[in-house]
Amino acid sequence: MSLNEALRRIQMLFQGNRFQQDLEEEMRLHRELREEEYIERGENPEVAHRTANQKFGNPTVLREKSYRAWGWNGLATVLQDLRYGMRSMMRSPALTLVALLSLALGIGANTAIFSFLDAVMLRSLPIKDPKQLVLLGEGLDSGQTDRYGSTDLYSYPFFRQLQQRNAVFSDVAAVLSMRNDVHGTVDGRDETELIHAQIVSGNYFATLGVQPVMGRMLNEADDSSEGDHPVVVISDTWWKRGLAGDPNVLNRKIKLGTTTFNIVGVAPAEFFGTKVGEKPDIWVPASMIQSVPPNWNYYKQNFSQSFLIVGRLKPGTTIKQATSNVDVLYHQIIRGFSDVDTSKRNMEHLDEAHVQLTSMATGISGLRQTFSEPLKILMAITALVLLIACANIANLLLARSTVRVREFAVRQALGAQRGRLVRQLLTESLLLATIGGMLGVAFAAFANRLLLRMISSGPDVIPLDVSINMRLLLFCMAITVLTALIFGCIPALRGTRIAITETLKDGRSTSNTNVRNPLGKSLIVLQVAISLVLMVGAILFIHSLANLNKVDTGFNREGVLRMEIDATVTNIKPSDPRMISMFREIEERVSTLPGVKAASFAAFFYHQGTWNNSIHVPGVPYNENIDVNHNVIGDGYFKTMQIPLLAGRSFGPQDTSTSQRVAIISESVAKNLFPAGVNPIGHHYYTPSEQPANDRVVIGIAKDVKLRNLNEEQQYIDYFPSTQSPWGFQHFAVRYDGDVTMIANAVQQTIHSINRTLPIGNITTLDKQVASSITNQRLVAQLSAFFGALAVFLSCIGIYGLMSYMVGRRTNEIGIRIAIGATRANVRWLVMREIVLLVAIGVAIGIPAAFAGNHIVGSMLFGLNGMDVASLLCAILALLGVAIVAGYLPAQRAARVDPMVALRYE
Amino acid sequence: MKRDEIPPGTLSMLILKALSLHGSLHGFEMANFIQQSSEDVLQVEEGSLYPALQRMLIKGWVTAEWGVTDGNRRARYYKLTASGRKQLATELSQFQRVFGAINRIVQTA
Repeated sequence: MSLNEALRRIQMLFQGNRFQQDLEEEMRLHRELREEEYIERGENPEVAHRTANQKFGNPTVLREKSYRAWGWNGLATVLQDLRYGMRSMMRSPALTLVALLSLALGIGANTAIFSFLDAVMLRSLPIKDPKQLVLLGEGLDSGQTDRYGSTDLYSYPFFRQLQQRNAVFSDVAAVLSMRNDVHGTVDGRDETELIHAQIVSGNYFATLGVQPVMGRMLNEADDSSEGDHPVVVISDTWWKRGLAGDPNVLNRKIKLGTTTFNIVGVAPAEFFGTKVGEKPDIWVPASMIQSVPPNWNYYKQNFSQSFLIVGRLKPGTTIKQATSNVDVLYHQIIRGFSDVDTSKRNMEHLDEAHVQLTSMATGISGLRQTFSEPLKILMAITALVLLIACANIANLLLARSTVRVREFAVRQALGAQRGRLVRQLLTESLLLATIGGMLGVAFAAFANRLLLRMISSGPDVIPLDVSINMRLLLFCMAITVLTALIFGCIPALRGTRIAITETLKDGRSTSNTNVRNPLGKSLIVLQVAISLVLMVGAILFIHSLANLNKVDTGFNREGVLRMEIDATVTNIKPSDPRMISMFREIEERVSTLPGVKAASFAAFFYHQGTWNNSIHVPGVPYNENIDVNHNVIGDGYFKTMQIPLLAGRSFGPQDTSTSQRVAIISESVAKNLFPAGVNPIGHHYYTPSEQPANDRVVIGIAKDVKLRNLNEEQQYIDYFPSTQSPWGFQHFAVRYDGDVTMIANAVQQTIHSINRTLPIGNITTLDKQVASSITNQRLVAQLSAFFGALAVFLSCIGIYGLMSYMVGRRTNEIGIRIAIGATRANVRWLVMREIVLLVAIGVAIGIPAAFAGNHIVGSMLFGLNGMDVASLLCAILALLGVAIVAGYLPAQRAARVDPMVALRYE
Repeated sequence: MKRDEIPPGTLSMLILKALSLHGSLHGFEMANFIQQSSEDVLQVEEGSLYPALQRMLIKGWVTAEWGVTDGNRRARYYKLTASGRKQLATELSQFQRVFGAINRIVQTA
């Protein structure tokens, strides 16, 4: 078919009406002219008319033949089916509305959850050939820096050696495992601002195959000698947001600490680095690591394991070959370092170490570890909800198609083929599903933003691209078609399977077989069973969340203001006495503010990571596998957090950098790691990095507290005074009384009166911080509750719909029953019995399914062992309750049937 | 008078020929032309012209335009296009080849 011909066909499609009119007129003229000719010849007009028509042929057939010539016949029937479907949808608007709403919610929820699943787990990095990329190790960002056997994080010198000596990678790049959030100044501005900086090896972009949109990316030369290359590449987002898309951006500069960096390039918009859910603003070459506060000296240290290493496999190299090559090199390189510590313990560790290569195609993701399980569960939940919606719509359509039995019988009697009728019904289902799907996409776009907000614990939304994309639309289309098939097939096949003559003979059109409607009933049972599973799940998750909320944190989370202060902008080393006295002054001045009860810095407040290693306690065998989490705190820490001291004293002015080193240990450290029967106070111990001569004496015992999560096991914790273990603090807490906003303002003013340049950020409360650590659980609980409720709601609509329909069909029979003496209560029970029976069967099937489901989600539950019988009973009762309400209305209507009216019915 | 049906596949050739001789015709005139030129031997189910014309419009062998007849009535006039002329040549040569072949067979005594 030539292009012109195709164009003419399409033109024809859009001018169908004009075409029909033209053809009509043309053919009419022809017949009239012929007729006139015959009349002129002297024929009688009537005969002339007949002969002309006869000679012309059957105009309807001709019209159709002409129409077919244009090749749009199939489409026309589809359009006709669609129009018909549209009309029949309009005829029962309530049903259509319910169906559309169910579909929109069902498809929308699936699409929304899938978009997260896609963004977090499935989508490839937007780089060249992501499949060739592998990561050394498993991408864990908490390394063990004091042991030799770490195969997740590596030192920069290790990276360089691997780069030179490996035989399997075409290129190897390193990226610092954490992002540095620093405060810097853009040239021409007075204020410092928070900048997310990612430190990478010079060949990072070349290895990934990422091209600049402007300027250049970093290269090997930028990473060739330490401290000489103050250049950065900036992200497209930051360019647009932070620099207002300045076209002259390559001439601008950023000052971090004392170093002024030149912007040399802009990364493409879609590139977000190598970690999903973390979008750096700037990329800095590793050679400049010391100039990106906080003053790290990792460039030359052989055993500062803090980089992730990414390799691009040479073409044709298998993961297996690469693994064995890297494994051999790992041992050679580590043992070859001049400062290797060949103690027996280290060498044993090293012998056991194997580097595992992980595919980097989808990037590194902390989000994946956190959210993959909840997302999978939510995906399953939403799929079940969609299934319920489908069952519902199938049921409603089934009910309607039974009403349409006569219509179909007539059409089949007139010669319509069953296939054609099935097609008609499926077209209607597809139409319904498509509109539902479109509404669903709109719903998903809205739900996505809401969900992203829900999982982002801080004030900034996690930079995750969950917008509606092609892949998502395809997914959505696929489930739309699938749902249409699921809910459309049953009614289509059922509704058209008719004994024509019988139906036509039977004026009442309601043979008893249709009233019983076993298919509709099984769908109700299925819905009830699934609803029960979802409800039990929801109750379990809510119960689990409540358990988490009840957990004793060990500190008082109410009434504490939290903020972060970036002291690295001062460019003073943490151990500098000026820094120590500045922290002291802030603590003291804030503590005296009206409404403030206590204030303190600390290395870590709740849910902010830890620094840990083993400890040596004289009198107890050393166990290197027991980690103690260290915290460095200001003197007011315990008072601020209201952590009770069980014995001894807190830190005070007497604990200086030159006095005897001191420590406070937690209750469980005292109980389990110190010799039994000895008072730990006054007892000495030391960490592996401290010499025995430099040991600490225990001066106090504090109550155990939660450290990282509410559901963690009891952690061992000890506390060091900031004077003796200088720490570049960021975290500051204030216990207050009164209005939080007023206190927050006063605290900020006080800090700025001490040092005007200190940037203060992330102002929140301890309470919110605790809440954000269970975001995940709350998300699952809230969403499963929502979907559980939705499932039950849909099931109720299903029950109500089916029962109303059945009552309507049986009006006649009910009338007779009443006429021969059945009481209203009898009739009501007649209907209710049916509902209760269906729900009971559904519940019976649902209980084992709920047990199975409980087993699957068991690891996500907190404080619940095995099936929670109370939850199960709760769900069953709730379900029965709402089902009875849904069934009561039709039952009531049945009871009100007037026998006289009913008998005259039809 | 006994009339014969138009052999299948030749209707479009006849229409194209009629148009090539007369330039521009409406459907009624084509029907008359075929009937008269064949000296009333060929009978068209006259209406069947119209599906054929639609097909030819699609193929781009003819164009159609509304005009006015001598009797002052609105009629759709068809005209040959360049590709229609080419099609006519193709169909004629094909027809003559087949007709010639049949003729040779039939005439073989």
